[in-house]
Amino acid sequence: MSVPDARGFLLLRRGGGLWGIANSAVDGLAREGMDYRVTIDGGILMADEILGVVEDLRVWPLAPVVSRYWPQPAAGLAVHGRQPVVVVDPAHPPAALRINPEKAGAEGDRLE
Amino acid sequence: MSEPENARSRQEGTHLLVRAGEYACALPLSSVRRVVRALTVHPLPGAAGELDGLAEFGGEPLPVLNLARLVNAPAGPNPTYPVTVVVWVGPVEAREMLGLAADSALEVVHVQAGSVVAGDGGFLLGEAPVGGEVVRVLNLEALGRAH
Repeated sequence: MSVPDARGFLLLRRGGGLWGIANSAVDGLAREGMDYRVTIDGGILMADEILGVVEDLRVWPLAPVVSRYWPQPAAGLAVHGRQPVVVVDPAHPPAALRINPEKAGAEGDRLE
Repeated sequence: MSEPENARSRQEGTHLLVRAGEYACALPLSSVRRVVRALTVHPLPGAAGELDGLAEFGGEPLPVLNLARLVNAPAGPNPTYPVTVVVWVGPVEAREMLGLAADSALEVVHVQAGSVVAGDGGFLLGEAPVGGEVVRVLNLEALGRAH
């Protein structure tokens, strides 16, 4: 079972996991110390590492058993380079990616 | 019981016995897709303890649940050959594939339907004596049902 293929995802690492965000939802990317700050419509996300952009990801819907034990919004699951990827719903990013409120006012170094 | 009924009953009662902490658990063999060396699992921040995380299996994302946590098993000795049991859960018309992290796969056994007692009617179908040990008989169909 799958949802239609989506194209163009920014891949990032956070909390030991791999996350994908549709390119079309990304407004900006800035470095902040050792982390990265990703600006999207739904707010500001933090990443430990930016892996790059992949053109194609086959996205599977989030299995109910995952939602039961990880009650976070997500657009689905995918695999890239034999690693599982959580595909982020830009309108409802998971708590693990959202910026720490204490850091919300900090300025990052804009990546050119 | 006629011969075909007898054969069907034996098939339905055939289980894979796995070790999870100090418990032995019987998984319906018809729901087991494969047993593999423990897959590399990537944690999901904020997930409940039952969900170890996500792995990759056959090119697809695979949620991996911790079987010992699911059955509230006391911790056992460190496993020397931990496995991931890839299973189908949920009703046939909406089944999901997931992994169960277990300490080891033991053997295939036959669990007599009449010998299963004291279950919760859900995921834990009950307990049954197998080879001199009481094992937890699991209902994987119930694991996939919405709560």
